[in-house]
Amino acid sequence: MAEVRLDHIHKTYKGGVKAVVDLNLIINDGEFLALLGPSGCGKTSTLRMIVGLEEITSGDLFIGNRRMNDLEPSERNAALAFETYALYPPLTVHDNIAFCLRARQVPQAEIRRRVHEVAEMLEITDILGRKPAELGGGQKQRISLARALVREPDVFLMDEPLSHLDAALRAHMRVELKRLQARTGRTTVLVTHDQLEAVAMAERVAVMNFGVLQQVGTFDEIYNHPANEFVAGFIGEPPMNFLDCEPASQNGETSLRASDGSFSVKLPGELRSKLDKQTVSKLRLGIRPIDVIASHQASGNGVVEIAGQVYTYESLGEEGQLAAHVGGSEVLVVTSPDVAFERSQPVWLQLRTHRIHLFHGDTGAAL
Amino acid sequence: MHPRLRKALTSIFSDGFLIIYFMFALFPILWMILVSLKSGTELFTTQFVFTPTLENYQAILFGDPRAAAGVVARVDFPRNFLNSLIVSSGAVVISLAVGVPAAYALARYNFKGKETLAFTFLSFRFAPELVVIIPLSLIYRQLGLYDTYFGIIWVYQLVTLPLLIWVLRSYFEDISPDIEQAAMIDGYPWYQIFMRILLPLVRPGLAAAALLAFVFAWNNFIFPLVLGASTVQTVTVSALGYISSAQAFFNRMAAAAVIASVPQMMLALSIQRYLIRGLSFGAVKG
Ligand SMILES: Nc1ncnc2c1ncn2[C@@H]1O[C@H](COP(=O)(O)OP(=O)(O)OP(=O)(O)O)[C@@H](O)[C@H]1O
Ligand SMILES: [Mg+2]
Repeated sequence: MAEVRLDHIHKTYKGGVKAVVDLNLIINDGEFLALLGPSGCGKTSTLRMIVGLEEITSGDLFIGNRRMNDLEPSERNAALAFETYALYPPLTVHDNIAFCLRARQVPQAEIRRRVHEVAEMLEITDILGRKPAELGGGQKQRISLARALVREPDVFLMDEPLSHLDAALRAHMRVELKRLQARTGRTTVLVTHDQLEAVAMAERVAVMNFGVLQQVGTFDEIYNHPANEFVAGFIGEPPMNFLDCEPASQNGETSLRASDGSFSVKLPGELRSKLDKQTVSKLRLGIRPIDVIASHQASGNGVVEIAGQVYTYESLGEEGQLAAHVGGSEVLVVTSPDVAFERSQPVWLQLRTHRIHLFHGDTGAAL
Repeated sequence: MHPRLRKALTSIFSDGFLIIYFMFALFPILWMILVSLKSGTELFTTQFVFTPTLENYQAILFGDPRAAAGVVARVDFPRNFLNSLIVSSGAVVISLAVGVPAAYALARYNFKGKETLAFTFLSFRFAPELVVIIPLSLIYRQLGLYDTYFGIIWVYQLVTLPLLIWVLRSYFEDISPDIEQAAMIDGYPWYQIFMRILLPLVRPGLAAAALLAFVFAWNNFIFPLVLGASTVQTVTVSALGYISSAQAFFNRMAAAAVIASVPQMMLALSIQRYLIRGLSFGAVKG
């Protein structure tokens, strides 16, 4: 078991694609970290560099204080569970799992013992004699995990391990993987583009976009204090609303006014003091759909309400989803099930002002 | 029509068609065997009932009394048979040695001119042999390859190599590179990955393609006819020797053909279980 340290890692493919740019990341010993990001952001490239299948263009990779850049994959003691499982079709399940032990000349008796141990842990003892082609996706998945675990790796890497399973099995495997990691206590990196998967399993989440690491932290940190507009928009479902704003002054207090003049919002003290410390002319106001309250009438009790028009409304049983036009922008709202809306109706939106996020208009960085 | 009746009719039709095709395909072979058992006097009768004789087999294997008497040209069948065996297996072995890595490279790596190269291999099979044979024979005489084993084996690559490369390439393409990479992480050198994981997966294709290549090489006529002479005479070419200006000894020729087809049949039977799977190109499942 070991800590994994990525130090100014770059990956540029032949032809100039910059898949990973200046990645600095420490994965603590025994930690379960999820690497999260949209398709093509460099997650797989990062994983493949750690395991040694892809050359590191520049920067240093350490596993447990040993520099790994120039070591062969087999010398790094990092195990990778492939997205496609990559089982060896000619070999039985038992031999698939035993394959790496045979390469290391582990004695026969110990191979048997270790294979049966992981097989029991993953509940696949009854299929040890079968060939991979005869098995279903869930079983193949377990074998690929067993194969990675049997070598007792320092680092356990998984590339979208659940993406080929159906929804029910995926939910089940999520729980099981988490349990497995807790039990073995191995440093684990999970690559996924599914934030639910990341939340359910990982202790910390690293969000990437276009090869650049955006933010690392627990899910709560990332959800409640996103470092920039990308992270704010990527995490959370349905995604956060963003509105163009600029600072304004109202009775001597700093407030926000929509760039198109369609509304203005009073800010809570904390945000106000943040805003007062900097000179910014363009801002983006971020608010999650569940932090907006929609109603048919203005409540008239003095809180700021924004006038809009219903664009679409969908009732989803336990909640409703409303898209409203406010000035030139669209605002998504999660509504309570007991109020229904009709297209083109006027609607009043009230923002939970303490849940407002502010971002620089130009850089997208959080204020 | 009643569905059961329709099903019965369909199966009668398809069975009937297969039987007719079978007879069509197998009759020449049956006829060849019959002719090889006939003596010279019965040769041109179309009777199925005759007194069979092993005289022809005896003559081609142990020497022909008429050749000794100078009536027909001497044909050293056992030696030609050995020649065929040497050049055909030699051609297949070299094609395997070259073709397996080539097919692997074409399937796995991206390099400049990859498709052009693959197509060039295939194009060896486009030109009719007769078109290239004249320039080839001039070149062969210049290089001293004329009537040598090596020369014939080399020219057979035009026949055997494209087949192996194209069949095996599709097999390798069907194997996910992840499998090889998993084995690399597990700590195996490339040749062991190839022997333990890849080879079992491509074996049906390898067996079928190698057999077909052997058959094509064995049956080739024009290359050894023009590029070989007394040293490297194959059975296909030497069969001509049974026809003299005065008389055609079709019974001798038939006996030679029967023996000559034995190696192919034996090979085909021994790898029968791979054959069907192997020829339905790229049937590997991961
Ligand atoms: N072998 C390669 N050669 C050239 N470019 C590559 C190669 N592999 C990946 N890329 C490019 O590098 C970028 C990052 O790819 P990568 O596979 O790491 O993304 P990912 O985050 O795993 O995406 P996904 O979620 O789709 O799996 C992409 O733009 C991809 O096209
Ligand atoms: Mg990927």
